[in-house]
Amino acid sequence: MISFVVFSLRRAWQGFWRNAVMSLAATATMVFMLLLLSGFFVVLTGLNAGLEFVEQKVEIVADVKDGAPTLAIEAVQARVAAMPEVASVEYVNATEALRRFQERLKQQGREDLTTALDKNPLPGSLQVKLKDPKVFGNVVESLRADPSIERVQEVKNLIDRVLTVTNLLRTGGVLVLALVGIVVLFIIVNTIRLAVVARAEEIEIMRLVGASDAFIRWPFIFEGALVGLIGAAITLGLLALGAEPLGRVMTGFFEVLPLQLGALGRDLTIIVVATGVGLGVLGSWVSVRSYLLK
Amino acid sequence: MTLAPLRAAARSHRQRPVGLAPTESPVDGAVLVLHDVTKAYPNGNVALRDVDLVVPEGDFVFLVGPSGAGKSTLIKLIIRDEIATTGAVILDGQDLARLARRQVPKVRRKIGIIFQDFKLLPTKTVRENVAFALEVTGTPSREIGPAVDRVLALVGLTAQARQLPGTLSGGEQQRTAIARALVHDPRMIIADEPTGNLDPLISWEILQLLLRINELGVTVLMATHNAEIVTALRKRVVALEDGRIIRDEEAAAYHRED
Repeated sequence: MISFVVFSLRRAWQGFWRNAVMSLAATATMVFMLLLLSGFFVVLTGLNAGLEFVEQKVEIVADVKDGAPTLAIEAVQARVAAMPEVASVEYVNATEALRRFQERLKQQGREDLTTALDKNPLPGSLQVKLKDPKVFGNVVESLRADPSIERVQEVKNLIDRVLTVTNLLRTGGVLVLALVGIVVLFIIVNTIRLAVVARAEEIEIMRLVGASDAFIRWPFIFEGALVGLIGAAITLGLLALGAEPLGRVMTGFFEVLPLQLGALGRDLTIIVVATGVGLGVLGSWVSVRSYLLK
Repeated sequence: MTLAPLRAAARSHRQRPVGLAPTESPVDGAVLVLHDVTKAYPNGNVALRDVDLVVPEGDFVFLVGPSGAGKSTLIKLIIRDEIATTGAVILDGQDLARLARRQVPKVRRKIGIIFQDFKLLPTKTVRENVAFALEVTGTPSREIGPAVDRVLALVGLTAQARQLPGTLSGGEQQRTAIARALVHDPRMIIADEPTGNLDPLISWEILQLLLRINELGVTVLMATHNAEIVTALRKRVVALEDGRIIRDEEAAAYHRED
């Protein structure tokens, strides 16, 4: 058994280099396809992070009645925070609301006209973040019923619309990724097929001298895996080289997004290696099969 | 030089597959028996009709006949590249039609096959080409070296062992192929037009080699168009025409002698 594996691995290695042109062509195709796949994956992950970011911004804002006692406000805050649908409740008092408003104006480079006002026009508010932006429960109703709440801004429609768009984008992204995956599969399988066809004579001789199917099949499978592994390694190398300059340009963008670059890198490594090896093995299996069926 | 130690060594680690009792052979001591064999291809072409043939162990048989007479089909049936439409092909006691697919490789190792176009791997040396047949059948590597050395010595290619086939003459290439066919210690050598690509002198060398192998106890079945050789050697001649055996004579010539 061990000698069989050693034999197959050795033959795979020899086969790869004795047919260097075909093997390198297959590997190059593999690299291009894996890069394409990685690109799509990164874009999709970015898109997803962006969508999550947008969804997190969605919250229920309840304006507090002018002059409502702090104790009453704190009571509402605690009551709402205890509801199962709610992630967090933040109380922004009138002074803080004005400060944030002024800051936003300054960031946008617009003139601050609030100094001309004799009193703060902004109400204090409770800002409720939901665990799942789609699940409201009776948070809105509960807030409306409270005497210290002036009004609850109508956000349900807005949330629904945002979610429709984000879900559409997500589905579209996954669909495109699946399509690219299928195209990649066909191209890789065909390239490996060419490499196997180039060795048809060898397979015929193996059959004639009485080699069992396993002895014919496994060296090719390992060779396919080798193409996948080398392709994946080159792809990851190129991605690592490209990540730094790209990252510098995108830093501002990524800082806003709840995107963990470490996790992305890990996922990408797993996907690239698994896809490369998987496609290589599948391509060899399909290609050799037609010779063994006789 | 003898094949005997080779055969003994190969037999000792060759086991009869479990649950595959040898079929009762109609003729005792026969390596190959074809009984009432007909082969029709899916396109309707009938390549062989009612063929009966018994080849005893140690026989030397010339298979002659015009192109399209069914010689190639007969060989394909013996190596189980094709299966007979009706009738039985029994090799070394095993009915090839009733063989499980995964048993086929084991049966093929009982046959050494040689072709007109040699079928050597151009990127492997003579030695590697011969060793290849053992490597791909799972022979332990410590047994491969000695076995290859023995057959290379038998065919007289020890000096050329490290050369690539492309640097050899046609005769040397065919001798490499014969070495590869022999390295499994087969019961039978099947040669399909082995001299078709060789000039007359080299053809005689190849024949001398096949005769010597036959003297060592290996059955030889040789399909050929070479009338001069067949007539000169006075061996058994089986003539095919239109898929039928029209003549089967001992010590015969290429053409019918009346």
